[in-house]
Amino acid sequence: MQLAAARQCASGEDATDTDIESTPLVEQIAALEERMRAFSRIVSSKAPIAQTPKTLVWALNKTKLYRYAPNPEAPHRHRVPLLLVFALMNRPYILDLRPGHSFVEFMVGRGYDVYLLDWGSPGIEDKHLKFDDYALEYLPRAIRKLKQISGSEQFSMLGWCIGAILTTIYAAMRPDDGLRNLLLLTAPLDFSNREGLTFARWTDEKYFDVEKVLAAFGNMPGEMIDYGARALKPVENYIGNYCKLWDNLDNPRAVEAWQAMNTWVTDNIPIAGAAYRQLIVDLYRNNALMRGELRICNQLVDVGRIRANLLTVIAEGDHITPPCQSETVVEKVSSQDKQTYRVPGGHIGIMAGSSAHRTTWPHIEEWLAARSD
Amino acid sequence: MPDVKEEKAKPFDPFEPFREMRDAYLDAMSKTMVEAVNSESYAQASGAMLDWSLTASGPFREAMEKSMLQAMQQLSLPSRQEIAALAERFTNLELRVDDMDAKLDRVLNLLVQMRSSPPAEQTESHERPAGIPG
Repeated sequence: MQLAAARQCASGEDATDTDIESTPLVEQIAALEERMRAFSRIVSSKAPIAQTPKTLVWALNKTKLYRYAPNPEAPHRHRVPLLLVFALMNRPYILDLRPGHSFVEFMVGRGYDVYLLDWGSPGIEDKHLKFDDYALEYLPRAIRKLKQISGSEQFSMLGWCIGAILTTIYAAMRPDDGLRNLLLLTAPLDFSNREGLTFARWTDEKYFDVEKVLAAFGNMPGEMIDYGARALKPVENYIGNYCKLWDNLDNPRAVEAWQAMNTWVTDNIPIAGAAYRQLIVDLYRNNALMRGELRICNQLVDVGRIRANLLTVIAEGDHITPPCQSETVVEKVSSQDKQTYRVPGGHIGIMAGSSAHRTTWPHIEEWLAARSD
Repeated sequence: MPDVKEEKAKPFDPFEPFREMRDAYLDAMSKTMVEAVNSESYAQASGAMLDWSLTASGPFREAMEKSMLQAMQQLSLPSRQEIAALAERFTNLELRVDDMDAKLDRVLNLLVQMRSSPPAEQTESHERPAGIPG
C-alpha cells in the first residue's frame, strides 16, 4: 500500500501534508523500487548490437562470412581487404558492439574493405570439427570468396584470442596464399609458463578428464566455458560487475555500455568437441604449437614459415591470455616486418573498452594503413 | 532553494553510505578469491566436483537417451543421432557446392583472361564451354 502511495506521489498527484504519501521516506522507497526495476530490466534484456550494415557473402555449415558496406565518406579506400577472425566460443559481434563503439565501424570509416568471419554455434553434428577443419578447410574457402569479391589477391587478417591460434596456423601452413598483414590480438600461442596460466592448472590431466566431459556433452558447453572465464575473477564478474551497474544507473551512457557488454558476455556458444580436445591436450598441456609439434592435417605447423607483416597486440592486464602467451611468437616467425604493441587493459577491454577508440584502434589502423595499399 | 531542489532530484540510494565500505570489502575479497582460484587445491576440488557430477549424472543421462530413442522410434520420428547424421551430410553437400563454386570462378576467370588477351595469343578454339555464361 505504501509503495502504491509512493507511486502516486512520485507521479506528481496532490497529497495533503498529513498523508503518508508525501513523506520523504515514501518517496525514497518509490525511487528505490523504480531503481530496482530498472536494474532488473537492464540485466534481463538484450541491447541492440552489431548494427554496422553488412551483407552475407558466403556460408558453409554454421560458418558465415560477412562483408561490411563501404563507407562512401571514407577519405581513402585501402586496396587490401581486412578479414576479422574471432574466437570459437564467443560471438564475433564484440568487434561491432554498438554504434560509436565499434571497431568494425571505425575501420570501415577509415576506408577498409572489412570482412567478418562468424564461426557460428556448433551443433552435436559438429563435435568432430578440429582446428584442422577451421584453419585449413573453412578459413581458406572464406578467403577465396573474400579475394573473389574484393578483387585483391592480397589480404590482411586479424585474429583475436582463439581466432589468433587459427590465423597463426593458417599463416604458417599457407604462407603463399596472399596474406600480407597478420594481426594477432591477445593470442594464446605459448603455453610453456604453466605457473602463470590458471586455465593450464585447472585443465591439468591430474584434475580434469577432457574425454569424460566430451563423452557426456559432445561439444564443450558454452555455459561451462563461461563459468571458467568468470571464475578467474569471481568477485569482479559475479558481484562487482552488477555493483558497477547499480552505481551508474543514472548515467545513460554507462548503462548503454554495460548492457551491450553484458549482452555479449552472456551470449555463450559451445566449442566443437574435437577442437576443444586439441586446445586442452595439444596446447594447454603439451604446448605443441610453440614446440613445433602441432600436427594439422598430418603436417607439422612451423610458425617459422610465417612471412606476413606481423603486429602482435598484448593486453598487459590480461588474465585470460597473460602476456607471456603472446610474446614469444614474434621471435619465431620469419617476417621481416614485425612489431609488438602493448596496451594497458584486459582481454576484451583493449578492443571493446571505453578507451579502445583512443588507444588500440588507432594504433592498429595506423600500422595497417602503411601496409594496405 | 536550488540546493534543496538538487538534493530532491538526486535519486535515493540506500547503499550510498556503504559504498566505500563495500568497495573496500570487494577489493579484499577479490584478491583472496583470485589467490584461491589460482591454487592447486582449487583445481583439484573443481576437477573432483566436475568428475563426481558427470559420474553421478551419467546413468540418468544414458537412461534418458535410451528412453528418448525408444519413444522417437515408436513415434516414427528421427532420433538425435539421425538428425546429426543428416546435418553432416548436408555439410558435405555444401562442401561439394563450394568446390564447384570455386571451379566455376576459375573457369570464368580464365574466360575473362582469354577475352581480354590479344587475338593472336588466343587458342584456336573460341567456343564457350557448354553451360558457362558469357
